Amino acid sequence: MIKSENIQDILQQLKLQEPERFEFNEDAILEEYQKSSADQSSLAIKVLSIFGGLLATLAFMAFLLIAGLYDSGTGLLIFGFAFIIGAIGLNKAYNKIIIDTLSISVFAVGFILIGLGLDKFHANDNLPALLFILIAICSLIITQNYILSFISILIVNGSILSLIFINKNYNSIHIYNAAMVIAFTYVLLNEAKFFTLNKKISKLYNPLRIGLLFSLLMGLIMVGKKGIVELSPNLIWLSSVATVLAVLYVISILLPIVNANSQKDKVLIYTTSLLLLLLSSFSPAISGSLLIILLAYLVNYKTGFAIGIMSFIYFITQYYYDLHFTLLLKSILLFSSGLLFMLFYLFTKKKLNTNEKV
Amino acid sequence: MIHINREDIQIISRNSNWNEKAVAQALQQNIYSSSNNWKKFLRVFFISLSICFTVSGIIFFFAYNWDNLHKFVKLGLLEGLIVIATAFILLSKFTETTKNVILTGTAIMVGVLFAVFGQIYQTGANAYDFFIGWTIFIALWVIISNFPALWMLFLVLLNTCLGLYAEQVASNWTEVFVNSLHFILNVSFLISSILISKYNNVKIPIWFSYSIALAATYFATVGICIGILNEFNYPFLVLLFISAVLYTLGIIYGLKTKNGFYLSIIPFSLIVIISVLLIDISSGEFMFLITSLFIIVSITAVIKNLISLQKKWSND
Repeated sequence: MIKSENIQDILQQLKLQEPERFEFNEDAILEEYQKSSADQSSLAIKVLSIFGGLLATLAFMAFLLIAGLYDSGTGLLIFGFAFIIGAIGLNKAYNKIIIDTLSISVFAVGFILIGLGLDKFHANDNLPALLFILIAICSLIITQNYILSFISILIVNGSILSLIFINKNYNSIHIYNAAMVIAFTYVLLNEAKFFTLNKKISKLYNPLRIGLLFSLLMGLIMVGKKGIVELSPNLIWLSSVATVLAVLYVISILLPIVNANSQKDKVLIYTTSLLLLLLSSFSPAISGSLLIILLAYLVNYKTGFAIGIMSFIYFITQYYYDLHFTLLLKSILLFSSGLLFMLFYLFTKKKLNTNEKV
Repeated sequence: MIHINREDIQIISRNSNWNEKAVAQALQQNIYSSSNNWKKFLRVFFISLSICFTVSGIIFFFAYNWDNLHKFVKLGLLEGLIVIATAFILLSKFTETTKNVILTGTAIMVGVLFAVFGQIYQTGANAYDFFIGWTIFIALWVIISNFPALWMLFLVLLNTCLGLYAEQVASNWTEVFVNSLHFILNVSFLISSILISKYNNVKIPIWFSYSIALAATYFATVGICIGILNEFNYPFLVLLFISAVLYTLGIIYGLKTKNGFYLSIIPFSLIVIISVLLIDISSGEFMFLITSLFIIVSITAVIKNLISLQKKWSND
């Protein structure tokens, strides 16, 4: 991050560059800089507040269980709502890193209490999940604190997944995956739109990005590891439709960046990528994690890139592990893919070198 | 031009009428991967994929024939690989790091060799002697190469040997005693690595010291918690004393070197220990309530102190 002395320079520079009138609220900018440097939280502090919050939640749940307070459904519901409102209110009142531990545990306990309370009333199975989605969305609208928003996004998508499980409508996981692929791709590629739309959305951008990444991964794991969900094996490719189209779309953005502009190169690149992606369509998780890698590298999103690489390795390993072929056939498959990638390497090396000379 | 990052763009665009197109352009120019980055990335990506797939293809090929191979061929293959790798390290002109990475891979191969040996001859070896063999046979490489990853492997092996020995042979050792031994083993590695880096001017990577420190704190915490929950015994008293001394040293070291890591894990360990103590005193409902409040208050206090320390350090 730039030092506060440099802010003025940058703002002046922008003023010169912009053709239209460039207006800014200097006081607000300086204030945000001061706040963010005062709240400069190291990783150690973030981890401490999350682990502390979890431990406190556990101890509190033990208190409730032993005290037998969970006997009254109405009481649980009232306390649950009070806790969630309290956590959001706390964050709204003092948006400081110091109270993160408290608000995380109070927020989590609130959801657990509501869940237990609804269970007492023998409510419809879908009700808790639907209510959680509603509450989490309200929380996102009210507070844009990093950790609370991240948890809220996970709660929204986790509840959608649990709806799929509760209703045993397993094949709709493909719709979930397609929605996550579209949302993640859109969010990563339209960063500028989110930054300029309005203040709240701009502040939500970082938690939204990491939250969608984890939500997409959850969906990919459901289709990537056999046996978690009873999916119709003949429909697995459905999830691939979204991932393959998204990867091709990212490639179309990539081509001008790496100067592959001739018609011949384009046809060659699109055909080979499409062929390879179609071959991998039996495992949507592989093309999905490839999409994460490409998108994250494109916008230089380091956490996403690291997670993408790890999931890519995991899903490929899982795919070959689950494959019911003899070891010999697997060996031939792996070896020939190795040779194929070597060809890709030689092709990129040759192409990109000639481009550099020009 | 001053280099600006994503957060700068975000803060400025939030408080100005900077339009979407210009922000997109600023991101493109300052943040996103450039054409050259992409070219480099694609090359590395394809060559690593190619090597991984080809090598696993070869491994699967041997795995396919494994049962039919004669034991001489099995051991010969592995030993051959180890000999070729070490010869390559000695004779080739690659950089030190590349050679060290290969040596670490070879050290893992030694473990595979021992496992295959045990499988063929059904030596009836207890798992712990297998690990001791592995540890002893790579010790020279560890000392000569002085490579952090290899040291880490060595330390993991030592801890495994100790754990398995306690489990399989010395079954009369108490859990507190075993955890104390683990604690002492890891702390002595940590302290010697800090001293060596201080007096010999060797740079020890942060992740290395942090992982050992984490392991050491883990064993101390678990040991003390078990000690609290079980009946009193003398090893527990010794562990308490050693931990008190070493934790104090750790806090002093953290304050002196302005390192927030030690100032986070040691208080966290203490908070866990005190929580267990509270629950041990009474497991009534109100004690759990007090514990949960205690955790929130104490963690918040630790974070508050860390933030004010960081502020002080950055002003110095």
